[in-house]
Amino acid sequence: MDDYLIGVLSNIGIISFIALSAYVLLLTGEISFGQQAFFAIGAYASGIATALWHWPLAAGLAWGAAAAAAAAALVGVPTLRLHGLYFAIATLAFAEMVRLLFELFHYQVLIDGELVGPNGAEGFRNIRYIFDNNIDATEFLVLVYVLLSATLLGFFLLERSRLGVIFRMTGEDEVLAELSGVAVGRYKVLAAGIAGALAGIGGGLYAHLTTYVEPRIFDVMLGVHSLAYGLIGGLGTALGPLAGVLIDIGVLESTRWFAGYRMIVFGGLVAVLLIVRPRGLLDEVVVRNIRKAWRRTSPLRLGRHEKQGQP
Amino acid sequence: MTDFVQNTLDGLMIGSSYGLLALGFTLIFGVMRRLNLSYGPSIMVGAYLGTFVYVQFGASPIAVAALAVAGAVLAGIYVERLCFAPMGPGAGIASMVSSFAIWMQLEQAAILVLPRHTYPYPPLAAVAPLMLGPFMVRLDHLVMLVAAIALSTGMHLLLYRTRFGLALRAIIGNPVAAHLVGVNVRTAMLGAFALASGIGGIAGYLVLAADQQVTSMFGMWATIKGLIAMMIGGLGSIPGAVLGGLVLGIIEMHGQWYFGSQVRDLIAYFLLFACLVLRPGGLLGDAPTRETAAYGRRA
Repeated sequence: MDDYLIGVLSNIGIISFIALSAYVLLLTGEISFGQQAFFAIGAYASGIATALWHWPLAAGLAWGAAAAAAAAALVGVPTLRLHGLYFAIATLAFAEMVRLLFELFHYQVLIDGELVGPNGAEGFRNIRYIFDNNIDATEFLVLVYVLLSATLLGFFLLERSRLGVIFRMTGEDEVLAELSGVAVGRYKVLAAGIAGALAGIGGGLYAHLTTYVEPRIFDVMLGVHSLAYGLIGGLGTALGPLAGVLIDIGVLESTRWFAGYRMIVFGGLVAVLLIVRPRGLLDEVVVRNIRKAWRRTSPLRLGRHEKQGQP
Repeated sequence: MTDFVQNTLDGLMIGSSYGLLALGFTLIFGVMRRLNLSYGPSIMVGAYLGTFVYVQFGASPIAVAALAVAGAVLAGIYVERLCFAPMGPGAGIASMVSSFAIWMQLEQAAILVLPRHTYPYPPLAAVAPLMLGPFMVRLDHLVMLVAAIALSTGMHLLLYRTRFGLALRAIIGNPVAAHLVGVNVRTAMLGAFALASGIGGIAGYLVLAADQQVTSMFGMWATIKGLIAMMIGGLGSIPGAVLGGLVLGIIEMHGQWYFGSQVRDLIAYFLLFACLVLRPGGLLGDAPTRETAAYGRRA
């Protein structure tokens, strides 16, 4: 594979994490404009862990995810009572606060005669773990997709679990869910924590791939994009946000057909899709139909029919 | 003490620009119960139109002002048609997200026309600042404060003294009932949207004429400052918008004086976050009930 393709594929994989992060909250019925904050926290925390504390990569990524999850759960508590646009604006305000705080954040250590670490608005250079340990681009790509596959597997299990049902129930009608005995508040904080962890992993991978992060990267536009991926790709399955990422990064950004007009095309696409398909391309109805069609043609069909046929 | 008064004065002046921006914002929210995040970028389209004509043909300040307002109104109508009119009742969040998507579109379109980061903007009038004893007030800032008060009064009169205002108030009360008694809800909403964008255009013009330059960050700046001022004052409240803007300006100026300019925006966002968590209704607005919040949710 050539370097450009590897770069594009790595980007798609990493951005998929923050898209899935926004998707978790969309499942519970909340719109967040602020997932980029947890992406940033993950990036900085895991970068500090490997570059300054010399932790191994796996521990650094886990630490980044944990820090982002903790921050997300912490913000989840005061914003619990907020709904709809109030929640969306609160997440936006929080994310911008985090970005501005990183502009003031200095933590530098002398390593091999060189100052390394976050240096305010200048950013955080030399997160060199993958160079120091001779991990090449293809190996890193494999790492990204192994983690992404594990996450997707988690989502498919979630969809079949009680927790998944509770998330969708809360998203459908919070009052009804509460009346059915769901402790809505607890599950919303849990969803926020999961979403934070996913964004944190994505951020950690991003920091190690680019070896350099600065606060400016984590602006509102990143947050809106990650939210838009789920909305255009579809809310019926975790593959929806991935489809959104593929459309944006795979087609609009990476091919040069739309150079200079990417935002115009993407913005228009989101606006039109919100009118004609308010729950995205792969919405619940499409997913259900695909599942039905799959069952009809699948070799497991006989077994299922026998089961259903029994009184 | 002198510094304190001067900072407060400066805060009042910069706050009046926030209040002006919040006025148009709050009119849209008041009538539609929806947030138009493309509000700032719409103003930016008008501002860039004016700048383009100014840079290319050296147009007079009056022509620039007229174009700034006209451009904002046109962009506002475009946003309303694409993000608000097609969305059914209960899809307020879809409108908000859609308006954010159009934000990217408008901003990119403006940048394609004028790609540099900064462009000059014609000043309102080159007059020396006014001295009130030891305190200094810039004249163009004073114009903004007067405009904020005049426009909010004008909007109040429009809402309570005209047929159009009556129709808008009927829609605010209950859109279905308003439709049943013969109000053309869609036209009235489009009218309110165009009016709000026009007010935004005036606000944008006054702010940029005082700054004497326009940057590609202006759309974002206008949406964020207008949003924060509106949220602090109370969503949908006209006096609240002006009050919120002034409060925000004064707090920002004192914050900047004591903690430096890097902390200024941080304070503004913190105010917004704290206000949402502690008092979502703002200073003069009603607290959102579960019902009004649900009204904005996706169907």
